[in-house]
Amino acid sequence: MDTRNSVFANPKPCQHLTDYKLRHGLSGYKSIQKWLKANPYGKTSIKMCETKIPRCLFCNGCHQGRLFLCLICSSMSCSDHNLLHTQSEYGHDIAVDIERSELYCCLCSDQVYDPDFDKVVVSKNVMDMPSKTHDSVVDDLMRRSSKRRRLNSVVDLDLKRSKLLVSMRDRRAKSCYPLGLRGLNNLGSTCFMNSVLQALLHAPPFWNYFLSERHGPETCKKRSSDQLCLACDFGVIFSAVYSGNRTPYSPAQFLYSWWQHSANLASYEQQDAHEFFISVLDGIHEREGKERNSNKDNGGCQCIAHRVFSGMLRSDVTCTACGFTSTTYDPCVDISLNMDTTNFSSVDVANKSVRPNEDTGRSTLLACLDLFTKPERLGSDQKLYCQNCQERRDSLKQMSIKRLPLVLSLHIKRFEHSSFRRSSRKIDWFLQFPFSLDMTPYLSPSIVRNRFGNRIFGFESDEPDISSEFEVFAVVTHSGMLDSGHYVTYLRLQDQWYKCDDAWITEVDERIVRAAQCYMIFYVQKMLYCKANED
Amino acid sequence: MMIVKIGVIVTGLCLKSMSVSDEDNMSPHMQLSSHFLGDLLDSIIVDVASECHRIARLGLDRNLEEEEEELRLSAQARVTVADPSNSGETNGKYVVDIFGQTHPSVANEVFDCMNCGRPIVAGRFAPHLEKCMGKGRKARAKATRSSMATQNRYSRGSPVSAYSPYSNSTSTNRLSNGTYSHTVEEYSNGTYEEP
Repeated sequence: MDTRNSVFANPKPCQHLTDYKLRHGLSGYKSIQKWLKANPYGKTSIKMCETKIPRCLFCNGCHQGRLFLCLICSSMSCSDHNLLHTQSEYGHDIAVDIERSELYCCLCSDQVYDPDFDKVVVSKNVMDMPSKTHDSVVDDLMRRSSKRRRLNSVVDLDLKRSKLLVSMRDRRAKSCYPLGLRGLNNLGSTCFMNSVLQALLHAPPFWNYFLSERHGPETCKKRSSDQLCLACDFGVIFSAVYSGNRTPYSPAQFLYSWWQHSANLASYEQQDAHEFFISVLDGIHEREGKERNSNKDNGGCQCIAHRVFSGMLRSDVTCTACGFTSTTYDPCVDISLNMDTTNFSSVDVANKSVRPNEDTGRSTLLACLDLFTKPERLGSDQKLYCQNCQERRDSLKQMSIKRLPLVLSLHIKRFEHSSFRRSSRKIDWFLQFPFSLDMTPYLSPSIVRNRFGNRIFGFESDEPDISSEFEVFAVVTHSGMLDSGHYVTYLRLQDQWYKCDDAWITEVDERIVRAAQCYMIFYVQKMLYCKANED
Repeated sequence: MMIVKIGVIVTGLCLKSMSVSDEDNMSPHMQLSSHFLGDLLDSIIVDVASECHRIARLGLDRNLEEEEEELRLSAQARVTVADPSNSGETNGKYVVDIFGQTHPSVANEVFDCMNCGRPIVAGRFAPHLEKCMGKGRKARAKATRSSMATQNRYSRGSPVSAYSPYSNSTSTNRLSNGTYSHTVEEYSNGTYEEP
């Protein structure tokens, strides 16, 4: 089973299916095509007659588990009796589950799969779709994926160049520890800043850009006209941290510049690390963006902040009455995830206490991503106008990722505000997160395909995109309470984890990191991670 | 995801067994409702089973082993860390960092303030700068309203916004260790449409 060359493993048909295909080809599939009807929730059923309930030929029952329609003679049998049918009529082995439009082999007593059948189902789904939905949904399903990171080659060259620069400074390094490891002094409740800076300082595409002096005092237009430039100040921190000097650095100039940029956040008090992160990227974008966007050949901002962090999210809103789907795209520099409150474990279910215990709840990052991409019913107070039905309808909304960034930053929403109780609290639950993350199931093609029942499209052959595989390189953790806590960043360099607690850099075992309370997790594309750690 | 689906099936089966257990004591009306419920539950259970079967057969869950390995490592890590005999690394007390240095609790490097020129101790720089720049708690109260405004200002002109309010819950999600800010993330569906 070759899984690497295609998204789907081509399931080997059973002997009975093979025989059926040899004898009948696609005629059976095509004959039922007219009866296929999809509901807006993605399930396709077979409805032969609007007025009569389908019944089993043998027992006349209509609710005996599943009902199967024979592909040769169109007789109906239930799960108790489908074997009888195949015994009484030789060769009538393959049937279709009418509720789910899934092929079933009566002799194997198992659901079987055939790309040709799926193609027939999908073609009908597509035919039935309201016209405007056609474009956004179908194109994604049918198009061969030809995603190749446009920046790959550019980034390759950069890495080599910056590595050269970095190795030249090696002589001043105090120890054999990786360059770039340097404590940051806390300037007075600035651990929120230090923690994010440490993560940014070690984002491979970021450091190679700043160390290659792509943005420096000479090239910066702002600087020359005596204006403040956050990107320049950021570059200064890079140089300082990678200089080989190991005494803790005070990012005072940066704080000063940042407060001038984000006047509203400028105050001596502890702040939110995520807010700072967004603000810094915005600052870098502002200074860089105008210079670099003069030739917008491939669209999208070309500033370093966006080239590294910007991805694209897709939002599909489906009318539950007619299935019309409206699709919009929004760029993003990170993804904020709600913690999944469902907490299934066999122990819980057995004890009939399925609700998670508030203090000891736990979740996983993948569960949060599942929640993020789950179709969500919009409340009845949020009925959206359906262009097809020409009125307001109940809708489903589903998010997916259209394009992944080079560095994926995930923010865990640990802060909960209750409007009735007029209080806020921090959710201290443990969140498991993987060190290696495959984002494929959350990409738009996967999500859309799932909405169509994960049917195999015979003509599609997308290779699994290697740029969907990520490796973690930095984790910002928060400990303590809502109004008095501390941020610490864990960095992974050359497969060793380091704890960056303001001025203190220490080595830690990976288990400490796995057990930590993560708040922001930074992943980088696996290819970039491997290249960066090649030494 | 598979774990959640199996959970659904188990819950469904539990509900079913609960509803049909009392059949003898039920009125015909209740028996009928109970049967309908049973059929509905059956249908849902088979839906989930059919989906999972397809996912498994088509190899769409090829990362299952890796995912389980990550979960296992994580569970192991938690056990190790919780064990008091392993508290060496987890407590906050540092002796030396990896370079052999020690640091005071308040950073004692001294440098000149870039606003007023006075020499300031690093660990007290932020409170100094706040007064020095004339910022302060008064500005804080309006912080998020204007921070939303700041973040929205470039989403109007340029095609790419660095901050996109795409989430659909109106929960605030700021973790600060001072006063917190209420940032309402509005649901928006269509700030940028790709041609």
